[in-house]
Amino acid sequence: MNDRLSFYRKRNSPVHALNPFTKLILVSALIFYGLTAKGFWTATLMVAFVLLPLALASKLLKEYVGVALKVILPTAGFMFVMQSVFIPGGTTEIFRLGFISVELETVQRSYLIASRIFLFISAFVLLLLTTHPSELMSDLTRRGLPPQFAYVIISTLQIIPQMQAKAQTIIAAQRSRGLDTESSFFKRAGLLVPLVGPLVFGSLVEVEERAIAIEARGFTSTRTKTFLHDIPDTPADKFIRWTLTLFIIISLAARLWLS
Amino acid sequence: MNIEISDLHFTYPSGVQALRGISLTIEAGEQVGIVGQNGAGKTTLVRHLNGLLHPTAGEVKIGDWDTRKYSVAKLAARVGYVFQNPDDQLFSRDVRTEVAFGPKNLGYPKEQVEALVSEALEMTELADKTEANPYDLSPTWRKMVAIASVIAMDTPIVIFDEPTTGQDAASVARIANVIRVLRERGKTVITITHDIDFCAENFERVIAMSQGRILLDGKANDVLGQEEILAATYVDPPQLARLGRRLGFKETVRNEEEFLAALKNMSA
Amino acid sequence: MAFVNLTNVTYKYPLTQTPALQNINLRVEEGEFVALIGPNGAGKSTLCYTLAGFVPHFFKGELTGSVEVAGMQTNQSSLHEWVLNAGLVFQNPFNQISGAKYTVFEEIAFGLENIGVPRDEMKVRVEEAMRLTGISDLADRSPYSLSGGQQQRVALTSILVMQPKVLVLDEPTSQLDPIGTREVFGVIRTMAERGMTVIMAEHKVEWIANFADRVIALHEGQILLDGTPREVLTSDILLDKGFGISRYTSVARRARTLGLWKREGLPVTLEEAAEGFKNA
Repeated sequence: MNDRLSFYRKRNSPVHALNPFTKLILVSALIFYGLTAKGFWTATLMVAFVLLPLALASKLLKEYVGVALKVILPTAGFMFVMQSVFIPGGTTEIFRLGFISVELETVQRSYLIASRIFLFISAFVLLLLTTHPSELMSDLTRRGLPPQFAYVIISTLQIIPQMQAKAQTIIAAQRSRGLDTESSFFKRAGLLVPLVGPLVFGSLVEVEERAIAIEARGFTSTRTKTFLHDIPDTPADKFIRWTLTLFIIISLAARLWLS
Repeated sequence: MNIEISDLHFTYPSGVQALRGISLTIEAGEQVGIVGQNGAGKTTLVRHLNGLLHPTAGEVKIGDWDTRKYSVAKLAARVGYVFQNPDDQLFSRDVRTEVAFGPKNLGYPKEQVEALVSEALEMTELADKTEANPYDLSPTWRKMVAIASVIAMDTPIVIFDEPTTGQDAASVARIANVIRVLRERGKTVITITHDIDFCAENFERVIAMSQGRILLDGKANDVLGQEEILAATYVDPPQLARLGRRLGFKETVRNEEEFLAALKNMSA
Repeated sequence: MAFVNLTNVTYKYPLTQTPALQNINLRVEEGEFVALIGPNGAGKSTLCYTLAGFVPHFFKGELTGSVEVAGMQTNQSSLHEWVLNAGLVFQNPFNQISGAKYTVFEEIAFGLENIGVPRDEMKVRVEEAMRLTGISDLADRSPYSLSGGQQQRVALTSILVMQPKVLVLDEPTSQLDPIGTREVFGVIRTMAERGMTVIMAEHKVEWIANFADRVIALHEGQILLDGTPREVLTSDILLDKGFGISRYTSVARRARTLGLWKREGLPVTLEEAAEGFKNA
């Protein structure tokens, strides 16, 4: 089983050294710009000229491309099929696939949407690859994010594999009682109760115990929290953040002005 | 119905070699206790008996069935398995429905299901709680519901995984009683346990496992007396066995009756 | 004034009719190691929660009487202050992992971050606590990759690092295998020997007999017996009430009726039993 459910890969790189908040702003700026800019190639260009070089600089090009391909290929394929089947209406037919006619407009539309989704997801992937989740949360907590909020995000990430393991055990326990999980789809719908019931009940117990456990360690203490890890926030970080913010404001203003 | 395990190896997809060559025959009606520290392969071994896991190499046969050729749902008619945590299996609104789930899945006729359920509830001392919601019962009683729900399947082989964990003395006594009744009915009972005193008092045959192998296998008295070998898997001999040894008994004793008999012999 | 002081404590969980604790009077001196025994449902966990402040602060319900630990009154303080007084470790090691941290070191530091301990001091305290419980070598591991016994020692260390005045343990080894049990009991013994006040609910009678200073038997929410391990664990009052009794005691009791045990009292430990039977 996964030792930790985290994309994070430790490297000694300038991207890793950035403050987590800076990276969050960077990713937000990329996504914001990529999704709102009108140009057909904007998202593609941002991936090619911003994300890929950043991945290279973080010494994680292989990992980035690997995860990205896993995400993009099915997404693009899905978009393409959906667009082709459900939103016909182009005029420039490229070829026919049985009764479906594939038009240039469809391909373009699918590409645009897929490239934007790709930008969106892969920007986050890069953030997660280069940023330790607990550092991100510590940093955000220090900047005023409620600790409960940060806790819920981090612990959910960690608990997912444990939930999967629990679900496996429950399925094994019910199969041992003669429950046939290999039967038809309609019969399977009726199988949900024996599987979901114990999972929900178990989670309720677990949530209560975990609440006690973190409470026992002063989670709701009113004192000002401190942090084990020193998370550097350099003048360069501040400069990058301000530049990016300014960039977004200007591009937004330009858009409003020009339209 | 005999259990035949020959040269069983099992490696998890993660690469962990959990079983490294287990060969074992368990005859119909035997009572077997399995001890050893966590990670020794105890649970992995018993999960092969009802087909939840399939051998990486080697073979497991339940009677004339090779476990690889039958689904878990089919094997459930031969091997009942009580999981460690009752909360992993209880879901019904009342105890009776819960207990009837297994026998119904096995396709027994209605009257037989009724009879088996009533009998299992009687045996687990749940007869006065049949209408209760399992979730409203204490963990101790939920454990009994889980046991009843497997017993009611009337399988020739019953497996218990750590039945006494978190149970108090009264509950341990109830579980011991269930095992005694099963023995009287000629069932095979295989129990994984860390409670070595419980193991000594309820099982004639004991298997000690360590690192995916069988360390010791034999009569409880012989196995539990092997203090040095058991130490390798961090198992202390039972209290009375240790006391007997201190008093210079020749034989290892496994319950109070044997202890008192040996004591009388000494002083005679 | 005793260190832990419960006077006429009665408590009902919300939506229940019968009290989980009834008229509990308990005094524990600083440095005592007290074991709580009793069948499931006798009130052991509730008493642990009361000492650790979760009753009534977390579970709500109705508490009467007074609970005082190290000079603090439960009804006059909030839970997050109280937990610095009394630290709680319970059965399930897995559910005590915060889930917010990726290494054991961070996990143990979690409590200190919450109460605002400065970073330098935090590191020193975490390292010291890990040394004490013998888990320094686990510092960089993920808490989820550990065995139950290791996880439970991490849970214990996470509480000890907060330096509570009383350590409250609710069956800390009930879900562990023999080696895990041994590891965790080892740490508890060390803490008791170092003079920490420890109150522990536990079923494993042989261990209690060997190491506890005092045993309290709970039954149906009330204190049935309170005394030395031998006084309590050999008492006939415990019979037929679902209490766990050591095999040494119960076999000696039978031997006595056969004239094979001639001593006045019954044994609770291997030593006492061996001694008594040898001389018979």
